[in-house]
Amino acid sequence: MDGRISLDRIAMRFGDFNAIQPTSLKIESGEFFSFLGPSGCGKTTLLNIISGFLTPSEGRVSIGGQEMTRIPVNRRPTAMIFQNLALFPLMSVYENIEFGLEVRGVDRHARRQKADELLTLVALGGSGHKPVIELSGGQKQRVAIARALAVEPRVLLLDEPLSALDLKLRQHMRTELKAIQRKTGITFIYITHDQGEALTMSDRVAVMSAGRIEQVADPMTLYRQPQSDFVASFVGENNRFPGRVVAVEESDGEGDIVTLDVGLASPLPGRALIHDGGQRLSPGDTATLYVRPEHWRLGGADATGTAVRGSVHHQHFEGAWLTLEVALDGGPVVRVQLPQNSEEAAAVPAVGEACHLSYSPGQAMVLPSAGETSREAGDVATTA
Amino acid sequence: MWRQLLDRFGLPVAFAIVGVMGVWLILMVLLPQWQMIDYSLHPSLLPAERGGEKDVWTLTNYLTFFRNDIHLAIFFKTIWSSVLVTALTLMVSYPLAYYLAKVATPGQAALCLLLLIIPFWINEILRTFAWYIIFAFRGPLNELLFALGLIDRPIRFLNGDTGVLVGMVYAYILFMVFPLYNAIESLDGNQIRAARDLGAGWIRTHRRIVVPHAKPGIATGCIMTFMLAAGSYAVPSLLGSPGSRWFTQIIYNWFFEGGDWNQGAAYAFLLLALCILFVTLIMRIFKVGLGDIAK
Repeated sequence: MDGRISLDRIAMRFGDFNAIQPTSLKIESGEFFSFLGPSGCGKTTLLNIISGFLTPSEGRVSIGGQEMTRIPVNRRPTAMIFQNLALFPLMSVYENIEFGLEVRGVDRHARRQKADELLTLVALGGSGHKPVIELSGGQKQRVAIARALAVEPRVLLLDEPLSALDLKLRQHMRTELKAIQRKTGITFIYITHDQGEALTMSDRVAVMSAGRIEQVADPMTLYRQPQSDFVASFVGENNRFPGRVVAVEESDGEGDIVTLDVGLASPLPGRALIHDGGQRLSPGDTATLYVRPEHWRLGGADATGTAVRGSVHHQHFEGAWLTLEVALDGGPVVRVQLPQNSEEAAAVPAVGEACHLSYSPGQAMVLPSAGETSREAGDVATTA
Repeated sequence: MWRQLLDRFGLPVAFAIVGVMGVWLILMVLLPQWQMIDYSLHPSLLPAERGGEKDVWTLTNYLTFFRNDIHLAIFFKTIWSSVLVTALTLMVSYPLAYYLAKVATPGQAALCLLLLIIPFWINEILRTFAWYIIFAFRGPLNELLFALGLIDRPIRFLNGDTGVLVGMVYAYILFMVFPLYNAIESLDGNQIRAARDLGAGWIRTHRRIVVPHAKPGIATGCIMTFMLAAGSYAVPSLLGSPGSRWFTQIIYNWFFEGGDWNQGAAYAFLLLALCILFVTLIMRIFKVGLGDIAK
């Protein structure tokens, strides 16, 4: 059996509450797949449906091509790493790792051998006899990984397992998790609200909001070509300019250059990608323009750029970046990120001074506005 | 402990706290017990003979017990039956406590606890009388079994061990359910889920995860139930007499019917010694300390 997962029109209701809207999804064997979304978006519910802790109200789950919807949790080829790790505190490291093997009737000698192999894999060799309560946070994390891998699952489910660690350790464990995944070839399904984790580790990411999957794509595509207002606002930062289309200029195969009246002195252009089945924008449509903070340049427009005027409101020093908040004339406050060591950052205007901002239209995104509801959802997510 | 009290409250208050505890222990526990041991080591005498030449230290009262086969038999039967009551109560309470702590919604748990507690607002004697009526030879239970066609003549539940066992399990169930509930409630639900996820069935999950975690609670419940059962007087007298005699009834008889307080004191001390032995044994078996139980 391999580690393919197929969700076929899965839906989950708790009373009147629709936790998961009907969702279909295929995850490849050996893939590092993440579900990314704010808390309450249904990602943990989906994980519980895959692991078997919950039975979906509708739809079917299959793993490795085998129907799993009615198979109880203890007979599924999955293993879970819990948010609080849920190590057994009364047992030693060995006993924790060997628990799943003991259940499967593996003899003592083979169990110990397997546990030692796994301890080596997670770089904890020689700690087998320690009680788990004596381990540090990072060590507990490793024991949890070893315990889950011991049962040789086809699919490893990870429920925000790094959230309890401090920043340095978290970044280190990201690399390590990814390495373990490559080494073992197991399908990893990773749940997180931290986009940094999702983007750095995953082969593909599903962005979720309000019980729906908004977009499934590799991290680069997700960042560069968001398909919905929610994804554009939730993944990375974006300055939103809702407005109305005034001109559409057909461009290369990558999409149209659409110019929007966003209530500023001059209309702003951006690239509207053409998705499968998506309708093309035409003048008069409502749409939203997105400019990422790092795409702004200080100074007037060059040959391809577009400039707006404003005055500097705040400056924040953030290590590698210098962040400016610029109040546009007659418009919103936008965030601008400049690399700390760039010439622009060296010549940045003082707070209160006027400045020009420009961007290249090819880097700005235009998405059709899909009604008021999704716009609200996006706004909530940006503030969260 | 004295250091902590001193640091936190200062000398006068710390002194007062320790003083009150000391007075309580000496007046309410140590002195009466000492008096009882003193009684048990003297022969029963007329008031005029006390302090006279017949008033000597003696083990006669204890020897009486060991020479009386019937009393010995009742003593061991009391131990055995109390162990049985404890085991039965544990078997009934564990699923109930687990349900309350981990399965039921807060609303359901509150309702269940209320239903469990309400009967305990009624005096123990009255509750036992209720069982007396239920178990009566022509009582509702026999009527029900008869109507269902399960029996063709009434069963004598009273006048034997059945009534006593059922009555005691009912009387002491809360003393088992609450320590168990507290212990299981504090178990992280994810540990149960993790065990299930790693492939464990329900029995193994309980044996390896829930029971080890709940051990102090189980020990506390067992100790309380055993002590209450071994020291019970009302339930065996009402639901068991005369077929099922309890050691407490013999102690009662020495004091209030035989008028031999010295003999009664010896018997009472034997029961106390037994209970202490049982507590120690249970703590050994469950590998828990006094501190775990007090939690």
